[in-house]
Amino acid sequence: MADALFLAISVLTIGSAIAALEMRSLVYGSIALMGTLGGVAGFYVMLDSPFVAMFQLAVYVGSIAVLILFTVMLVKRELIFKKIEDPKRKFAGIGLMLIVILALGAIIMDSGIKSISTDSDPVDFREIGGDFLTYYWPALVLMALILAGSVMGALVLARREDTVENEQRTD
Amino acid sequence: MSVIAPKFRLGYFLKGIFDNAFWILTIVTLAGIPLIQIVLFYMDLPVIDGELLTAFLAFTWLFNPTMQIPLIKSLLYSDLFRIAAFPGFGFAALIAAATIFVERKMLAKLQLRVGPFYCGKIEGLLQLAGDGLKLISKEIIIPAKADKPLFWAAPVLFVGTAAAFVALIPVAPGGWVVADLDVGLLAVFAVIGFFPIITILSAWSANSKFPFIGGIRALHQMVSFEIPLILSLLGVVILTGTLNLSEIVESQSNFPWIIFMPIGAIVFFTAMLAELERIPFDLPEAESEIVAGWLTEFSGMMYGLVQLGSYLKLYAFAALFVIIFLGGWTGPMFWPPLDTELIMEGTPIPNFKGDPVLTVHAPGLPLFDKDPNEWVLQEQGELQYTSGQLLINGVIWFVLKTVAVIFFILLPRGVFPRIRIDMLLHIGWYKLIGLAFVNIFIALGLVYAGVLGPGGIM
Repeated sequence: MADALFLAISVLTIGSAIAALEMRSLVYGSIALMGTLGGVAGFYVMLDSPFVAMFQLAVYVGSIAVLILFTVMLVKRELIFKKIEDPKRKFAGIGLMLIVILALGAIIMDSGIKSISTDSDPVDFREIGGDFLTYYWPALVLMALILAGSVMGALVLARREDTVENEQRTD
Repeated sequence: MSVIAPKFRLGYFLKGIFDNAFWILTIVTLAGIPLIQIVLFYMDLPVIDGELLTAFLAFTWLFNPTMQIPLIKSLLYSDLFRIAAFPGFGFAALIAAATIFVERKMLAKLQLRVGPFYCGKIEGLLQLAGDGLKLISKEIIIPAKADKPLFWAAPVLFVGTAAAFVALIPVAPGGWVVADLDVGLLAVFAVIGFFPIITILSAWSANSKFPFIGGIRALHQMVSFEIPLILSLLGVVILTGTLNLSEIVESQSNFPWIIFMPIGAIVFFTAMLAELERIPFDLPEAESEIVAGWLTEFSGMMYGLVQLGSYLKLYAFAALFVIIFLGGWTGPMFWPPLDTELIMEGTPIPNFKGDPVLTVHAPGLPLFDKDPNEWVLQEQGELQYTSGQLLINGVIWFVLKTVAVIFFILLPRGVFPRIRIDMLLHIGWYKLIGLAFVNIFIALGLVYAGVLGPGGIM
């Protein structure tokens, strides 16, 4: 059962990743990208970490894919993109992918991990939260500062003084 | 001369009936019975009274009064019943239908109209059924240059996502929920995140101006109000220390969280109105500006499915508000405390000689109790109730609270005008997010001051 599920999710993830690259229509390509990200969430569920899976769905499928879709819909693609049909590049990309996969596979085979025990308890997300708030608090504070800084920077960049509009507003 | 059936002959009529009966019998024999057998082969059949339930046994027991209750009980506690009927789709669709009826009549009364009046004689009770029949029987028109696969898929995906949201809502104590997840609240956020995608995809696929404008507006609105929606619920998560919705309800057995975080409740309610595209935030469907917004090109049952999905979503959001802030199914017991003996063994009724001939059980209880010997101790006093009593009591409180919240969601439609898009985004990004952070700091203050903590009053 788990093997069949794993195979199905793998086919979904890899297939929609290939579709995301190869589709002519940009909107369908971004839908296929959503399929890939959702498949990754499925892997997280299979690996007993529903917390990460739900964040994957909420953040990647729910927000980032929406932003990509939004951008794609507002772009006139004929004006920006030129079709480049180059079989050499395609074969080079496939070759690079095969090399990377073989190298990673060799490393994993070499590491001596033959089997994975599935009986161990999943990591409780409360423990992760507790660790973040106690032992790893400097990392948490650093992350919060970086995020706050980037949000403020984005707000400063996006700020626009529309004096005319502001005068017209009544509220 | 116009008559209904100009060439009516009894012979043709009988021949039609016999033809239909012949074909129905043939198809059922060739396809239906093998299909039923294949389905039965893969189904897990329950064991009732030590006997494995087969289809033949089920048909036999249907007409045996002593076996009917165990049969219905085994159905009542199956997964299929949960998904299709009680805490799942059927229950939510019933509440959604009631919501549509109440919305029409209440808005009409607010605006000194009568509303639907003629169908069903009593206050237009059957108007909803009439509208449903109309939507089913209407032709589905698809725009010529629409993106057909996406256009077909959008209403179905919308209803499916709304049903997934409904599946996460616990309705009564004792695990009456379709999917009881450990990370239920996060799953709710993940499901809510799918609505803008479906909206914008359906708007784009119609290849028409009004739907696209409506879809872009819906995307702006939903994405910007999702953030205060999520932040306003984090205060409750900090205080309860869990993400499981059932545990959040159980943590409110003494007091609902709205007492301690009214700001969070107000922020959540406002963000909820925006997510549901209700007035005053109904810019995506603004019928006086852009025909029907992103629903413009939908016709027939596709429109009906989108409407069904949006009312299921309304129910689910109202139920989420009840679960997080109003204490879900918790409330005083309606039941008088009955004797243990009375429920477990029933009251023997003697005949004129004094011999007990008949045993009467407490009404309704044998049906709703999973196991009559299973007793649940209530904390208030030393009273004991069965799981059936707790179920009925919980459902009554839950429905009462949910209906009250739905009423407050409907009310602004008769009162407020639509607001401008810049005011909407201003409310979302400046005011609501700020208030949500105030709410989180109130929760943190309560925890660090030692007043409240995970699990209730310390």
